[in-house]
Amino acid sequence: MAEVGAGEVQKLAVLFERHHLGLFRYFVSMNRNRELSEDLVQDVFFRMLRYRASYDAHQSFTAWMYQIARNASVDSAQKRKGEVMFIDEFTDRQADPAPGPEETAALTQDLRLLRLALDRLPADKREILVLSRFQGMKYDELAGVLGCEVGTVKVRVYRAMRALEQAYLTISGEKTA
Amino acid sequence: MNCDETKHNLPEYLSESLNEAQELAFAAHLASCEACRAETERLGSLWRSLALLPGTMPEPRTNVRDRFYESLAAYRHGMESAPKHGFKEKLAALWPRQPAWQMAVGFAMLVMGVGVGYEIRPAKQEVQQPVSSDVAQLRGEVSNMRQMVALSLMQQQSAGERLRGVSWAYRVESSDTEVLSALLYTVNNDASVNVREAAVEALHAFGASPVTRTAIVQSIPKQTSPLVQIALIDLLVDLKVTDAAPELKKLSVDETVDASVRERAKAALGKLLQ
Repeated sequence: MAEVGAGEVQKLAVLFERHHLGLFRYFVSMNRNRELSEDLVQDVFFRMLRYRASYDAHQSFTAWMYQIARNASVDSAQKRKGEVMFIDEFTDRQADPAPGPEETAALTQDLRLLRLALDRLPADKREILVLSRFQGMKYDELAGVLGCEVGTVKVRVYRAMRALEQAYLTISGEKTA
Repeated sequence: MNCDETKHNLPEYLSESLNEAQELAFAAHLASCEACRAETERLGSLWRSLALLPGTMPEPRTNVRDRFYESLAAYRHGMESAPKHGFKEKLAALWPRQPAWQMAVGFAMLVMGVGVGYEIRPAKQEVQQPVSSDVAQLRGEVSNMRQMVALSLMQQQSAGERLRGVSWAYRVESSDTEVLSALLYTVNNDASVNVREAAVEALHAFGASPVTRTAIVQSIPKQTSPLVQIALIDLLVDLKVTDAAPELKKLSVDETVDASVRERAKAALGKLLQ
């Protein structure tokens, strides 16, 4: 990113290839809308170009990028205030590991329930889990993105995991009832 | 390590970022506390499953990549065709990047300005009469300068420069018809969707003018980008242009326009006729 900041904007393509999928998954996890998430990915890279001079090479690029992503998401939500949002029903793709057919069905079912549980969490809890688990962000990077102390991040991750467990158990109970 | 500390360290344990000593203390506590052991196992299992979720999620469509490369090429083209190393760029390069230095330079300039102003101030009796006319003249000059900057930037080849020109439009008086005309021209003719969108946003400040209101309504069918059409429709709602109702009605049933634009026109119609 430092090279992009220095004027070599074509280097942004490398960052796009490396990060656009992660960004897309972050947005989809937060808004459940594919088209909007694709637009937001474009918006993030456009904002990176526009604000490239503000990037500080001493800070984590991932943290900086997700700060931009959060701002883009907030701006988009404000723009669409009052508007009915379509929630996409995604067809499940097979999870990466490949066990036997019965195990696969059970695993797919578990993951479906887990995703429903994740969707039911309040946005702040869902976001911290998505950033830490899907994007593999370290807690000090998360502290930079969320604007809080590392200790607070750990407390929030713990609470989010507890809430996820609760939601998962509730959904499992609903499905078996 | 007690139960509270174990809970506090659980996220780091799950993400395998505890140091060796902490991990040993954590394991020792689990060996002696059934409740913490059970919780760690339950949350650990969820934590591992969470890592599999992204594999079940949809992927972005291929046109996301195409759109990105098109935008990047357009941006580079804009940068290359912009004049390089002009006086403005040299001046901008002198401006520090760190906010702390920016504040320091700003403060130093303020102190210098006050000092110089104090030194060259005229005697009190001379100031009495001309002060109000001088200030009015100065305001007029500043206003003209803003208008000039906005108009000249909006005519640049580079989309980035034109965006800056649009942002200067916020600093001129809302009665400035020349800037309003330039904004309307940009909304209708600019090659970049981003610049057109930014120009639509900037029209908010000129919403009191009937020229603006009529021009917005006329611009919607001319637009090729649904994003800009939606921005224009939103602007009509924000400015409460009830006269736009027939046009919006037409738009909401026009099969040739984008479905999201039709939806937005329908919603806007509802809001305007409330």
